[in-house]
Amino acid sequence: MSQAPVVRLQNVTKVIGKRTIIDRVSFEVRPGEVFGFLGPNGSGKTTTIRMIVGLMGLTAGDIHIADHSIKTEYPRAIVHVGAIVENPEMYKFLTGYQNLLHYARMIPSVTEERIQEVIELVGLQGRIHDKVKKYSLGMRQRLGVAQAIMHRPKLLVLDEPTNGLDPAGIRELRDYLRKLAQDEGTAVLVSSHLLSEMELMCDRVAILQKGQIIDIRSIRGQAAEGENVALEEVQFDVDHPDAALGILEGQGDGRIEGGILTLSSDRKGIAVVNRRLVEAGINVYGIRVKTKSLEDQFLEVTGSETIG
Amino acid sequence: MANFINLILNENMKIYRRIRTWIMFGFILLLPPLVSLAIYLAGGDGISGWSIMMTESYILYSLITIFAVVVAADSVAGEFTWGTIKLLLIRPWSRSTILLSKYLATLLFALFFTAAAFVVTFLSNWLIFGLGDTTLSTSGLSNWEYIIRFYLFQFITLIMIVTFGFTMSSAFRSGGLAIGLSISFLFAGNLITGLFALANKGWVKYVLFMHLDLTNYIDGGSGPIPNHPTTLGFSLAILAVYFVFFNAVSWTVFKKRDVAA
Repeated sequence: MSQAPVVRLQNVTKVIGKRTIIDRVSFEVRPGEVFGFLGPNGSGKTTTIRMIVGLMGLTAGDIHIADHSIKTEYPRAIVHVGAIVENPEMYKFLTGYQNLLHYARMIPSVTEERIQEVIELVGLQGRIHDKVKKYSLGMRQRLGVAQAIMHRPKLLVLDEPTNGLDPAGIRELRDYLRKLAQDEGTAVLVSSHLLSEMELMCDRVAILQKGQIIDIRSIRGQAAEGENVALEEVQFDVDHPDAALGILEGQGDGRIEGGILTLSSDRKGIAVVNRRLVEAGINVYGIRVKTKSLEDQFLEVTGSETIG
Repeated sequence: MANFINLILNENMKIYRRIRTWIMFGFILLLPPLVSLAIYLAGGDGISGWSIMMTESYILYSLITIFAVVVAADSVAGEFTWGTIKLLLIRPWSRSTILLSKYLATLLFALFFTAAAFVVTFLSNWLIFGLGDTTLSTSGLSNWEYIIRFYLFQFITLIMIVTFGFTMSSAFRSGGLAIGLSISFLFAGNLITGLFALANKGWVKYVLFMHLDLTNYIDGGSGPIPNHPTTLGFSLAILAVYFVFFNAVSWTVFKKRDVAA
């Protein structure tokens, strides 16, 4: 993808008092990409997100949204952004519809039809004229999503979007975000400390610790890259592990873990091992490459440090 | 960018869609006829409707000021308390424009209540007592002129108190504190005026509190301090200086603040 990034952070720094909360954070999110922002509590995720949407000022650096700096052209930049920052807080004494109308009035492009469209999209048509104080948390989340997408933003920012959602709601949100990214080319920036969620949702993930980005890696990219020469742990489920180990003598670091033949190998190596096992008359029931989960990667990078 | 009127409509929606506002309005509508009726039944049927209207207008003005301060305080601090400030500010509007819409909506609220108070006090006293031939003014103004000046001067005072409440609201993000301070400002003002009026010092006339009650000027009075006469123009100039100062504080604080709540 060579499209211009929707949001670009350049050396964004935030100092409060004498503490550097965010230290030279830089990254970009491209159209159609779901970008995850991962970090332990207190690592600066929310602060960074608040700076992107202009709720907090920058001590140094700059943020551009659709090529407009949020420091000098705030209204032009923010009009491309839809966001939920932490909980979707709404005016409880207004109805769901009045809440949407409130935000719609502030953005010129939102029509009456569009409001109806997003209400149906988030499935609130039955309750939209009820007061928000009667809504469940899940319904408030839906209303939050509705106000965030109503003006078809180029960038959707969601801070801890799965907080308080039930598994069905999380799944629905995830599918919806992916669809939005694919079909409308929306760039999505989500923050979370739930690793498994991020793994399912994101294309790329930035790992934040103590206000610094310590790693940015793609999640979906890896499998497709194919000709990966790196050695990975491979498990062979065979009927006679001991015999199999004998046959493979002298080839790599073969060992038996819990009755499963395990060795390090690259792609080509797997085929070679498999052929030799089959030729020696050993039944192979399954071959599995042990990909490291994001959680493993995350803990590997951040260690098990305490909140600093 | 969209119409600024939309922002005012939004603020209005947040004021008038609350039951609280209509309870306040109920006080304004019911108090004058009830008070007039009570006076009438207590044997005051010879009194002119004009004098009762003046008395009731005094009382209602304290109420309207308090109500307007409550609305002003909630307008900014409420958004912080509810957390809705986060969704309100991330729109294609500058913070100063959003604050201006809140300020104007609050003043419109005060204007609406003032108009209602005027109509209700006039109608109920006209119907109950009739417009006897009392003259309110001591300087030859007609009763209409007198009452209209009274409302006008009181509204200027109200603007000052509401502006102060608004400033406290944006500075402290606490509705309770803003309401408390503004109301003590209103009542302490009367006490301080009395005390300072005794002090025979020239600088007293630059104190804001001395100019919160402009009704002295209706009949061409010489201001609140007996030994240091002032004019209406002078008082208005002093108020204008404080007005600019309060608003400058609100605007600066609101524009610079990091929203972290």
